[in-house]
Order: sequence, then C-alpha cells, then structure tokens
Amino acid sequence: MIPISTRAWRFPIASLCLPVCLSAATGTATQTLSAQINAIGKLSVPSTLNVTNSGTTFVAYRGNLAVSYRIRTTASTGSGTVTVRATSDFTPAGGPSIGAGTLTYTCSGATLGTACSGPLTLSTASQTSVLTVGAGVCTGGGGSCSTNDPNTVQTSFTLADNPAYGTGTYSAVLTFTISAL
Amino acid sequence: MKRQHPILLLLAAALLACPAMYGQFAATGTTTLSVTVGAEAALQVTTGTTTLAAAGTIFNPYLGTTNLVYKIRTTKSTGTGTITLKVTSDFSPAGGPSVATPPTAGDALTYTCTVAAPGTGCSGSITSSTAASTSVATFGAGASSANAGNAASTGWTLSNDPVYQTGAYSGVVTYTISAT
Repeated sequence: MIPISTRAWRFPIASLCLPVCLSAATGTATQTLSAQINAIGKLSVPSTLNVTNSGTTFVAYRGNLAVSYRIRTTASTGSGTVTVRATSDFTPAGGPSIGAGTLTYTCSGATLGTACSGPLTLSTASQTSVLTVGAGVCTGGGGSCSTNDPNTVQTSFTLADNPAYGTGTYSAVLTFTISAL
Repeated sequence: MKRQHPILLLLAAALLACPAMYGQFAATGTTTLSVTVGAEAALQVTTGTTTLAAAGTIFNPYLGTTNLVYKIRTTKSTGTGTITLKVTSDFSPAGGPSVATPPTAGDALTYTCTVAAPGTGCSGSITSSTAASTSVATFGAGASSANAGNAASTGWTLSNDPVYQTGAYSGVVTYTISAT
C-alpha cells in the first residue's frame, strides 16, 4: 500500500511531463514585421543662459549656448532646420529690447549639418536660422549616420550694452525649434 | 502592495512635469536669457594734446580747451557718478609754470567745466592740483548718457608769469570717471 503522502505527488509529476509531450509536435510560422521610419527631429537646450561683460566698460554682454539635437531626414528629398525666436522680450521694462535689434548671435561647430553664418539679429517676430541639414542624414549609429549622439551646434549671443539701460536684471525667453522632413 | 515613499513619488512627478529638469529632447526647447546691467562709466579725451596759448595783450594768461566724451549709467535710486581730473605730471622742464610749486604766489592752472546733461559741470573756476583730484562733473541716481556718449570739456587758464623762462613746457592731466 502506498502511503498517502507519496500518492499526493503523483498528479504534479504527471503535469510536469505534459509540456514535454506536446513539444514533440513542433511547427514553424513566419511573421512579417514592418516599420515606417519617418523623418524626425528633437532638440534640447540648457534652461538658462546668462550673458555677461567684464573688464572694459560698455563692451557688449556675451554668452554661449550649446544646442543638442537628434535628427533624421528623408533620403534624397528631405531636409531639416533648427531655428530660434525670442518668444518673450526682456522684462522688466527699462532695459535691453530684442525688438530693437540689440541681440545678435553666431553659430559654429555643428557636428551634423551647416551652422548659420552670422551674426544674425534675433527677432521676436520671426524664426531665424541656427542650423540646416540636408537629405538623408541621421544622428548616431555610425555608417551613413553621424557618429555623434546627440549632435551639437554652438551659439554665441551678443547683447549691446547701451548706457540707456537702467540698472537691474532682465530676462527674455528664447525658443529653439527643430523640424525634419 | 508595497507602499512607495512620498518623497520618491514627488520626485517622479516633478520629473514628469518638468522636462527641462532632465534635459529632455523635444521638438522645441526654451532658454531663459538673463543679463544683469550694472553701473558703468567710461570716457574718452578727444583732444590729444591741448595747446595753451596767450593772445592779445601781453602777459594775458594762456588759454586752451580739452574736449572729452563720456558714457555713464548710474544705479537707479541710489547711484552717483563723477568726473574728476588731476595733474599727474607737472609741467616740465623746470623753469616754467608749475602746478605743485608755482614760482609766484597766485600763479595757477585753473579750469572751468562745460558738461552736457545728465551731468552737472563744476561750478566756477577750479584750481587744478597734483595732489588731489578735483571735480569736473557730477551725476545723480539713474543717470544715463547717450549710447554714442555725451560731450564735456574743460577750459584751461594758465597764469602768464614773467618769471617763466621762455620755452615749451608740458604736463599731463588725467581724467577719471566713476559710477555707482
């Protein structure tokens, strides 16, 4: 007679064997995977930039800002841009004004694409160029793509120092936009 | 279910709500551009060499004018500014006029001031000194010049003492501008 304790293990052992028995009846199936790879661009910029001057009085305020970006453009026909616009002029009143054309910038050192040739005057009304890229380019991955990931372009801002500015701290907001086709 | 620490939950919420905190890539990015504008002042003496010359009646004093352009910005409410001058090198060679040690009591190099607003020019005729700076102009709080600068000048008068030996003498005057 089998003790009750031993009989209780029979069913679990049988269950463990079941998958092994089924695996003997194998088959194959194919699944077609497809992906639509579209042009895309994304960027990142530091949240703050302080422009400063030092030494000689009434020299312009200057500051540098690196724009990081990742981009993929359509082969043959695609293109991409990075632009900048002042979405908020300096506040409070009494200081510099971007609308008055006092803030200019240059671009350099693009690791993918062509940096703007400046100096360009920043505008509150329209986008101005930072970078252009051609067709069939992509960030990272090597091969036909850029080896840098992310890509970067340097921007250097120059703000005129006018004696008419009242003393104090002033802030403006710059919005960078990337587009890819 | 394991209960999450409230601080961890707050941090996670903050990261999700504020992409800038962790430099997320997106189609647009914003930067706050800031500048702190402080009090500043600068000047340029536009008369390279000021020639003092006597005209008319003999032993009339020698006269001349030095022009300068100043730029200034003083602090709102509390700022001030000054333009001063000092004779940093007395007349040389010896035997002629002297600011520090006039050969005759009463001999002096004096000047008057003409200063465009927002500056206020010195009052009257001031005797220059090699020992101390003397005033050319003063500025009040919140003063600012034109971007191209504003004009100022000093009109010089040098005693014409017969004891001065004939010859050419020169000294150096240094102008200083300051702003707070």
